[in-house]
Amino acid sequence: MQMVKNIFIIFIVFWFALLLFMPKQELYFTLEKELLKQDIEINEQSIEEGIFSLNLIKPVIYVKGIKIATIEKINIFTLVFQTNINLKSLILDDSLKSFAPQKIDVANISYSLFSPFKVIIDGKGSFGVIDGHANLDERNLRLHFSETTKELDSIKSNLKKDEKGLYYETSF
Amino acid sequence: MKHLFKSNLFKIFFSILILLALVKLLWFVVEMVWLSPVGIGHDDEVGNKSLYYRVKLTPNEAPPPMKKQPIKIAGSIKDITLLGIYNSEDTTVITVEYKRKTKVLARGDEINGFLLEGAGSNFATFSKDSKTYRVVLLKSKKSTGSNSSIKSTSSTQSVPAKDSSKVKGEVTDAGDHKIIDKSLFDHYAKNMDDIYKNIGISEVKENGKIKGFRITFVRRGTPFAKLGIKRGDMIKSINGQEINSYNAAFEVYKNIQKVENLTMVIKRGKEEMELEYEVN
Repeated sequence: MQMVKNIFIIFIVFWFALLLFMPKQELYFTLEKELLKQDIEINEQSIEEGIFSLNLIKPVIYVKGIKIATIEKINIFTLVFQTNINLKSLILDDSLKSFAPQKIDVANISYSLFSPFKVIIDGKGSFGVIDGHANLDERNLRLHFSETTKELDSIKSNLKKDEKGLYYETSF
Repeated sequence: MKHLFKSNLFKIFFSILILLALVKLLWFVVEMVWLSPVGIGHDDEVGNKSLYYRVKLTPNEAPPPMKKQPIKIAGSIKDITLLGIYNSEDTTVITVEYKRKTKVLARGDEINGFLLEGAGSNFATFSKDSKTYRVVLLKSKKSTGSNSSIKSTSSTQSVPAKDSSKVKGEVTDAGDHKIIDKSLFDHYAKNMDDIYKNIGISEVKENGKIKGFRITFVRRGTPFAKLGIKRGDMIKSINGQEINSYNAAFEVYKNIQKVENLTMVIKRGKEEMELEYEVN
């Protein structure tokens, strides 16, 4: 019993130390580098490092050099086995308003090691509520729209309909 | 002898310290070997300025400096009824009814003082006194219920489409240049997907830098085909803006609805060509 207790303490201490000493900023820079290979750039005003999280203040996202979106704040929170990315006030570039809702107030992206091929996405904005998931194995994304408002009309042509309502589907 | 510290507690504390030090060392090695110490900053492209600016010394809207005595011609465009159109890349022939007589006109021919400039799929374009008039095909007129449809260059009225899913607007051949209907730009600005259905464009890189965008296909019968561009052409610049990045190309796309004329420099084989378009 003492042995199990010791192993448990060692595991907890190791996990805590792993999070505490994690070079979060450097890991983020490495992620930035990897994204650059896909022509995606994130240009943030500042970075704030916490014990379990990393905050990106006023990041601007560019795809192939084109400014796509401006976000008020991105919070990346990780417990190693579970990672949440929280986006606050995402504003899409004006030229993309026919493709996607122009303003998303809050969006959450969560990933768990317990379901390694699933990324859960949900969000809220003046257009309504979105929830869905990306399947990393099948390489597809499906987002359902609910409580929709008139603001969604401009992108309705890109959406499909099923028994739950409107949804957006794409593969990557 | 009494111990100052409980040896068991000290052992646990020491083990934790060693574990923490080991984890720190592990991350340090990872950081040194794999992780990037600095972030990537986005450089705003400075080369996105136009190569030259188009200066309108005699704008179309302004009166011409030398006033010619207008030739008084009786009748109006309403007297001309368009019966048929034959349109190919180099030939435009139309059949019209004028004063109860049927006449066949080629590009450049005149009727009732109106000069035939070109034709689209369901209309013909005439010019008179530096104004452009559009006459819609009789069949179309009947379906829309109007007697005649006349459009001057300053008007924003467009020909009603039979099918809402079809692209509104046309590219008309006016001899030395082509006229693009502004509603085409409006359509493609709102429906980006339609661009990719009708034309294929891929980047051309040289030493890792984009040199231009090559046209991989142009769908027949689409407004893009009527622009005179062909498969294999490389777009070098649009309206003096060098197209050497996706951002530059997207900037052109974003502002396309504001342009009044369009100049496109393309490279066909080894030859560089400048294509001029008027936007109405």
